Amino acid sequence: MTVISDQDGRDLAALKRQSVSLRSLKSSVSYLVLTLFTIISVGPAIYIVSPAFRESKSLFSYPPQWLPNELYLGNFEFLLTETNYVRWAINTLIFATSVTLIALVIDTLAGYAFARMQFPLKRTLFGLVLATLMVPTAAVLAPTYLLVRLLDDWTFGIVGIDTFPGLILPMTVSPLGVFMMRQFIETLPPGLYEAARIDGAGEWRIFTRIVLPLLKPAIVVLGIFVFMMQWANLLWPLVATTRDETRVLTVGISTLQGQFVTNWGVIAAATLMTLIPITIVFLFFQKWFVQASVAGALKQ
Amino acid sequence: MVEVSATPEWAQLSMSPKEYARERFRFRRRALVPVVGFIGPFLALWSLFLAVPMGWAVWLSLNEGGLVSDAEFVGFANWTTFLKNDELQTAIKNTSTYVVVAIVVVFSLALMLASLLNNNKRGQNFFKVALYFPLLVPPIMAGMIFFFLTHYDMGVINLLLQTAGQERVNFLGANPNALLTIVGLEVWRGLGFWVLFYLAGLQSVPADLMDAGKIDGARTVRRFVRISLPTLRPLLLFAVVIALIFNFQLFDSVQALTKGGPTLGTTSIVWFIYKQLFAFQESGVAYATSLALLLMVVALTVLAYGFLGRRDDGTK
Repeated sequence: MTVISDQDGRDLAALKRQSVSLRSLKSSVSYLVLTLFTIISVGPAIYIVSPAFRESKSLFSYPPQWLPNELYLGNFEFLLTETNYVRWAINTLIFATSVTLIALVIDTLAGYAFARMQFPLKRTLFGLVLATLMVPTAAVLAPTYLLVRLLDDWTFGIVGIDTFPGLILPMTVSPLGVFMMRQFIETLPPGLYEAARIDGAGEWRIFTRIVLPLLKPAIVVLGIFVFMMQWANLLWPLVATTRDETRVLTVGISTLQGQFVTNWGVIAAATLMTLIPITIVFLFFQKWFVQASVAGALKQ
Repeated sequence: MVEVSATPEWAQLSMSPKEYARERFRFRRRALVPVVGFIGPFLALWSLFLAVPMGWAVWLSLNEGGLVSDAEFVGFANWTTFLKNDELQTAIKNTSTYVVVAIVVVFSLALMLASLLNNNKRGQNFFKVALYFPLLVPPIMAGMIFFFLTHYDMGVINLLLQTAGQERVNFLGANPNALLTIVGLEVWRGLGFWVLFYLAGLQSVPADLMDAGKIDGARTVRRFVRISLPTLRPLLLFAVVIALIFNFQLFDSVQALTKGGPTLGTTSIVWFIYKQLFAFQESGVAYATSLALLLMVVALTVLAYGFLGRRDDGTK
């Protein structure tokens, strides 16, 4: 057998074997770390299944009981009959869906105007909108609350505290959406609509016939982004709703925590029931979700 | 102007400067109609629900009351008591500690995991989906999930410690444990986002730069420090500012896990604002704090986009 060696007389084949085994060691360590973080990410939520199917007092037993002895359904029964859970879920759907739809319409229209139309004060206006890009609800909580309460009188109770318009409308304003749409529309080749314009199409026709079909991916991404923000929203619904029937899930579930005694089994059941639908939707549309999360920050 | 069109025929055909101005105005007004149609709906809602509240916030900071009673003008009194408020000082200290620890932990973990994912393409999608999952969980429900991990009597971690014959840890009832538990929750929830963020960034590092590094014999860690990080620098600075803005709004997990306690140990700025406004009706200081938060966020936003270069301010 001939041994190929370098100038220093080292066996090259052995060196290569060594480097291959080093590389495979490195990649197995990598996968070990990744698996560890996968367990950390998903594990806690999976554990919720166990307390959801157990009576709350068994949660405190020692030695600890990890799995339910029998499938106890009392927590779910309590949730569906003794609390307004179903109502909260419907309210959340109405709230998050309405905000998403309204935001998509106004953001796409405004994004088009900022990207393609000429009008006086355009730059100033865009700068102003941009400066409010990240204004948190918390920073304008008091004035927004006072405004909605004031609108209660002015709009004869249509927009007000404990009404859907009062809950929805303040959350539809997201300069980030306009910004994303403007950036996306600017990447479209202008030749597309120059031709249509020469053929005499007006702005509205160009927008609906040419731009809108091309915007589909951006609309899906922005839609998911807005929906995710709003269905997790706690602060504004907490302030804008006072009655149990007008609450959304995030607020409702936080009221399940008692002042002195908390029925933990019910809380686990509520969390589980809330997470299952969104997880299923996520698994079907994961590619879009991942894009939506990064798009918010990266698609400048 | 008039001298140029001296001949009578020409004067009949052309418009006088006055007529011209009127026609120009009409033409521009007509051209504005679609603009208003496109931008109007957003601008109306933006003015009403963002611009007006922002202006109102400035006015409110000079007032006291207004939530249950009529507002009373107090001038700069809120601002003079603002920084002397002990509870607010604690809130600022807690929030700053939380922000620094959370950002340092989440960014180091995210950069590590992102580069691991970038170097190990097999199963990348599975890990991306798994790491993303906690982001689906609204913070308030993440809080509930964390109860089942960290509760003194029924939390998984304490049950495991007990089974192993160790002392239990009081995660939520002692300081600084409670604040660190909240950091843990936010790291758990936010990690996936930042991994994806940095993965997208790493994948945009030019491949020829990396190849050049490889040829020059730079190892993985060195390539990461010397090539990836400098390329990602503007993105990193942008990310830090965005994370600052997000994390300064800490509220949901405090509401879920600790309600600001024990003994103010987890009182955050937004929790302070919320409690002062809606529990104690102590509006003056809350108004001033809100405005300070608002100004800080606007300043940070301008800074963040400054890091990305000035190409996005509408100039081009």
